[in-house]
Amino acid sequence: MARTLTKTVPERAAAAPAEAAGPAARRGRRGWRGWRDAGARLTMVAPALVLYVGLLVVPVGYAVYYSFTDYNGFPQQIPEFIGWENYQRVFQSADITDSMVVTGTIALVGAILVNAAALGLALLLQRTGGFTTFGRVVMFYPHVLSALVVGFLWQAILGPQGVVNTMLEKAGRSSMPFLSDPTWALWTLIFVISWSLFGVQLVLYLAGLQTVPADLVEAARIDGAGRWQTFRAVTWPALAPTFSVALITSGISLLKTYDVVVSLTGGGPAGSTQTLAYSILAVSFPGRQIGLASAEAVVLIIAAAILAFTVLALRRRAEEGAESIG
Amino acid sequence: MSALRWGRGRAALAAGAVSLLTLAGCGNGGSSGGNADGEVGGEVRMLVNLTPNLDQSYWEELVAPFEEATGVSVEIEAPTGSSVAESFPQQLAAGTAPDVIQSIFPDDDTLPQLVDLSDLPWTEGTPMVDDYAIDGSRYVVGVGSQTQSLVFYNKTAFEEAGIAEPPATWAEFTEALGLLDEAGYTPLQTAGQFQTGLQLQQLYHPTLNTAHPRWQTSVADEELSAGEAYLPMFQHYADWLEAGYIAQDDVGLDPAAADGAFLEGTVGLYPQGSWFATTLKSGGEPPFEVGVFSPPVDEGQEYPGPQGATMAYPYMINAASGNISSAQALVEYLVTDETAIQSQLTADGVFRQGAETADDPVLAQVQAILDEAPGLVAVGEGFGDTRLPVTGFNPKFTEIVQGLYTGQSPQEAADALDDWVSENR
Repeated sequence: MARTLTKTVPERAAAAPAEAAGPAARRGRRGWRGWRDAGARLTMVAPALVLYVGLLVVPVGYAVYYSFTDYNGFPQQIPEFIGWENYQRVFQSADITDSMVVTGTIALVGAILVNAAALGLALLLQRTGGFTTFGRVVMFYPHVLSALVVGFLWQAILGPQGVVNTMLEKAGRSSMPFLSDPTWALWTLIFVISWSLFGVQLVLYLAGLQTVPADLVEAARIDGAGRWQTFRAVTWPALAPTFSVALITSGISLLKTYDVVVSLTGGGPAGSTQTLAYSILAVSFPGRQIGLASAEAVVLIIAAAILAFTVLALRRRAEEGAESIG
Repeated sequence: MSALRWGRGRAALAAGAVSLLTLAGCGNGGSSGGNADGEVGGEVRMLVNLTPNLDQSYWEELVAPFEEATGVSVEIEAPTGSSVAESFPQQLAAGTAPDVIQSIFPDDDTLPQLVDLSDLPWTEGTPMVDDYAIDGSRYVVGVGSQTQSLVFYNKTAFEEAGIAEPPATWAEFTEALGLLDEAGYTPLQTAGQFQTGLQLQQLYHPTLNTAHPRWQTSVADEELSAGEAYLPMFQHYADWLEAGYIAQDDVGLDPAAADGAFLEGTVGLYPQGSWFATTLKSGGEPPFEVGVFSPPVDEGQEYPGPQGATMAYPYMINAASGNISSAQALVEYLVTDETAIQSQLTADGVFRQGAETADDPVLAQVQAILDEAPGLVAVGEGFGDTRLPVTGFNPKFTEIVQGLYTGQSPQEAADALDDWVSENR
């Protein structure tokens, strides 16, 4: 917009001959320049657009299409349109609805755990120093490990014959059913996933803390605010955008929990730790129920979108509330 | 918003996997260098499951004599996913399926993609070939069988518990568990994950198939319900769990840890398949003598009962292969050449009825059980024409058996099994 309102000296000089040539010539040159600019813009946008459409829109489109069909995934079978049948099955099957409840529990409780742990540690490790740098590396380390390795590792620690139970038995105590009781297994799974995920959120919060204005913190302290008051009135509002991003990314990661389930519990005992992603990848796909798997995947996409939009909407409302008070 | 887009993208990956099945092409793969006139030559691609025993170099050495004799170049390929079962359908859909497929079996979905081998004379007499035939047609041939219904036991524990002979009936089996418990041993070692359901099936194959021969077909024909078929064994498990003969904690135990517990010598009985004999052989000398017996049967049934078994080293040929003649020649070599057969039998603990008794005492016992078995029967979901009307039986069965460990009653478990079969029939 600024280009049309104010012209620089060279621009004015370049425009002078065109103005002298009359309105028709000016329109023609402007039209040609407009097409050229549009072409240049399109050339720059096209690669990203092609990638976006090819890698995101097309696959999701196919998933939505297959979710309305009966299809085994083989080229010889033509997908048969069956309407909403797969979606009805998703919501009527006790196995799948149970997996949705498990997924929701993991996403909700896990997101709280991950963000509480990450924020708490970020506050402890925000100052730069030898120890805190070492601490940051150690805390990020779980995220570097493959999720499958994480599962096997904690299976060796918390399994019925794992390190913890062996030590308990040697101490004359009864063993703990970390992985053999349905309720315990779910909480163990949430703990292990949170442990493996919080490193990324920690980095986000550490970056977010760099944006907290030091002068405001200093002013709050001069005004006599304690640590908690300073955090609540200065640090937390400044961290709010970071918190939104951390909450959304951790929530979505938790919604699609699969690898740790495979290696830690195998979905058991008695299906108590089967997540929706596990149901899609370990039950429906191997059973060649591509339509049903697609319907489950579409439900998962919608759940992720709802989560993201809800967090963003709440954040916007909070900001508007703060502005109106201000 | 970028976070939102990223999140949706990640969540969409699961959904996107679906589309990969159809995006890549229209053909069904196979080698392009085949000979249109049916002569043997060119290249053959073979998809195999790679394991610690059967690694890339093993397969390459196995097919080397064939390559030398025929001039065919055999390309050994590992699964693109976690297994051949997962990769083959994806490759078929993508038009990149190999010429020969090892380790999986035909079913209604894959049948149209496979070469009917029925007219080839060399398939005659190969192990279990007619058991796996569908509507009388042979689509898969193998080298031997993996025996599923075995109980490995600690002979030292038996002596200390005062058990003279391996139990032949369920009453004797339960009595033996009690004696082993009193002697300070873990009476019956079970494990979590896939193994929970597998072990119960392994123990019950002889009884179930004596009471209801081809029970999978009976369920398909609605003459028998799966829950009704398994209810007696669910009851046995519930009783043993209540008595403490099976540890409730086993449901969270890694199967490898269960193997380790038996090898340590603290366990009395361990239901497993014939592959465990190879694990024992490679695991060094255990601190006790290992015995093997066929699982018990009901009072009045003939002992030993039929053995649950699966075809070992199954080979199938892609109907869309561009080099079917060479693929057939390769499979013929793998299942009929004496050296190739012997190599495969010894590499992965595979047995063959009537084969020479192995030097290893445990392997010899397994071979004897196989030779004495009155028949080999379909396990799990079944095979050939003896199949349940559902897919995905084993994972669901495991989930239901695990319910017994977490407080479900045998009747509830049987009902859950019937409900699932009805829902997925």
